[in-house]
Amino acid sequence: MNAIVFDHVSKRFGDVLAVDELSLTIAAGATVALLGPNGAGKSTSIGMLLALSRPTRGTIAVHGRTPERAVLAGEVGAMLQQGELIPELSVRELVELVRRLYPAPLGLAEVLELAGLTELARRRAGGLSGGQAQRVRFALALAGAPRLLLLDEPTAAMDVESRRRFWDSMRAYAAGGRTVLFASHYLAEAEEHADRVIVIAGGRVVADGTAAQIKAGAGGQVVRFALGEQPAAGLDRLPGVTAVEVGAGIATLRTRDTDATLAALYRDTALDVRDLELSGLDEAFLALTGRS
Amino acid sequence: MLYYAWTEALRTLRNRRYTIFVVLFPVALYLINAGIYGDQPGAAGVRQSVYLMVQMAGYGALGASMMSSAVPWAQERRSGWLSHLRITPLPGWAIVVTKLAIAMLLVLPSLVLVFAVAVLQQGVSMPLGRWAALAAVMWLGAIPFVALGLAIGSLLSPEAAQPAAVLLVFALSLLGGLWFPVEVMGGTFQAIAELTPSYHYAGLGWSVVASGGLALGDVLTVTGWGIALGGAAAYLYRRATVRA
Ligand SMILES: Nc1ncnc2c1ncn2[C@@H]1O[C@H](COP(=O)(O)OP(=O)(O)OP(=O)(O)O)[C@@H](O)[C@H]1O
Ligand SMILES: [Mg+2]
Repeated sequence: MNAIVFDHVSKRFGDVLAVDELSLTIAAGATVALLGPNGAGKSTSIGMLLALSRPTRGTIAVHGRTPERAVLAGEVGAMLQQGELIPELSVRELVELVRRLYPAPLGLAEVLELAGLTELARRRAGGLSGGQAQRVRFALALAGAPRLLLLDEPTAAMDVESRRRFWDSMRAYAAGGRTVLFASHYLAEAEEHADRVIVIAGGRVVADGTAAQIKAGAGGQVVRFALGEQPAAGLDRLPGVTAVEVGAGIATLRTRDTDATLAALYRDTALDVRDLELSGLDEAFLALTGRS
Repeated sequence: MLYYAWTEALRTLRNRRYTIFVVLFPVALYLINAGIYGDQPGAAGVRQSVYLMVQMAGYGALGASMMSSAVPWAQERRSGWLSHLRITPLPGWAIVVTKLAIAMLLVLPSLVLVFAVAVLQQGVSMPLGRWAALAAVMWLGAIPFVALGLAIGSLLSPEAAQPAAVLLVFALSLLGGLWFPVEVMGGTFQAIAELTPSYHYAGLGWSVVASGGLALGDVLTVTGWGIALGGAAAYLYRRATVRA
C-alpha cells in the first residue's frame, strides 16, 4: 500500500501559491527526502499531511485514508519545524505524555535511548539548549511508534555528534518497515540517508529519483585536482566525463558518474593526481531549483 | 488522556505566577484583613471573618480559573505546542475539555486554603452541611470564569492575554465586591456591579454562609453568564483551531 499519495494538490495563502498542483506517491517502507530551498513548500506539504491545514485543491491520502483519520488513528508522528515544548514539564513527562496518546507506542526507555535523551530525562524542557530541544521533538515524533514518520528539517540546531546519532536512530527506526519522509536543504544529507529524493521548488516537483539520478540529471558532479605541468589530453575521454576545463594548473572535470571517472583516472592514466576534490552537490541542487 | 490531564495540572502547579497570585495572595490578604477586622460584624449579617472568607475564597477562585486557562492556552496556540498535540491521536475536543476540567480542579486549592485558614486562625465554624454547600457553589460558580479565560486565550496573543486576564480578574474582583463591599462605592458603581457574574458569584457564597439558602437572582445570573461565556469560549476555540 502507498504510505502517501498527493493528487494534484495546491495550497494557496492569499497571493502566495505555496504548493502548486503537486502529485506524488510514496510507497510504504521507503525513506524519502523532500529537498528544496526556503519557501519551496516543504513545510506546507508536511502540514497538509498532518491535517494541520487543508489543501486548497486536490486530495491527500495517508495509508489510503484522509490525513485527519490517519492522525487520529495514531499512524503518523512528526517533528515540526517550529513548536516549543512546555517549559514546566520534564523531558520524561513530555515523552510520556505523547507516548500515552498513541494506541501502541514504543517503550519509554526505548524512546529516550533512540533520541539520546536518557541522561536528560529529568531536566525541565524550559532549560534545554536548542539542539537538546530538537532531540526532544524527535522523541515526541517517534514515541507513538507511528508507521509514518515526518521530519521537517530534523537536524537543524544539532551539532555533529547529535546529527550522527540522530541519523543512526532514524535508520534503526525506518528499518522496521516504517516510512520516513524528511525535509532538508542539503542534497548531501538526502544522498546519504534517503532511498529516494524528491526535489521541489516553487511548490512543484522539479526532480524525483535516487540521489545519483538527480545529480546526473542536473549536469553531474565536479571532480577537481591539481594537474600542474602534466598534459590534459585524454581527460575528456574518461568514462562519464561531459566537460573538461584546465586553468592555472587545475583540471576541472564535469561527470555523470563520479565513481567510473575516478576509477579510470587512476587506472587508465599515468597522471599524478593531487589535491583531489569532489563537489557539485550544491551546484546540482542550485541548477535544479533555480530553474523554476 | 488522563496522563495529559495530569501533566496539565502539574505544569500549572509548577508555575510561580499561579502559586503566588492565586493561591498565596488570597490567603495572605485574608490573614491581614481578618486579623484587623475579623471580630466586627460583617456586611452580610455574619461575622466579618466569615464575610472575608467568602470574599477571599471568591477572589482566589476567580484568579485561579482565569489564570490557569487564559495565558497557558494563548501561549500554546502561539508557541506551536498545540500543533504538537494536534498531530497526535488526541481529538480536538479532548484538549479543551481537559483544559476546562483542570482549570476547575485548580480552583479547589484556593478555596480550600482560605477555608482552612479561616477555621484554624479565625475559629470560623459552621454546620458541616453548610460548608459543603459553600464549597459546592463557590466551585461550580467558577465555571463562567474558566470559560472567560479560555475565550481570552483563544482570542488574544499571549502578550495581550496576560494583561487582559490580570485586568479582568481585578475588575471583576472589584465590581464583585471581593475586595471591599460594593456598597461603599456608591450608586453607579453598584448598578454596574449588579450586572457582573462575580458580584452574584460572591452573592452565592454570602447567602450560604448567612442563611444556608441561595438567592434565585444570583443563581440565574451566574448560570446565564456561564452559558453565554461557555458559548463564546466554544465559538472562539473553534475559530482559533479551525483547519485553514
Ligand atoms: N501561514 C502562511 N501564511 C502565508 N504564507 C505562508 C504561510 N505558510 C507558508 N507560506 C508561504 O508559502 C511558501 C512555502 O512555505 P513553506 O513553509 O512550505 O516553505 P519551506 O519549503 O518549508 O521553506 P523553509 O526551507 O524555509 O522551511 C512560502 O512562500 C511561505 O511564505
Ligand atoms: Mg519549512
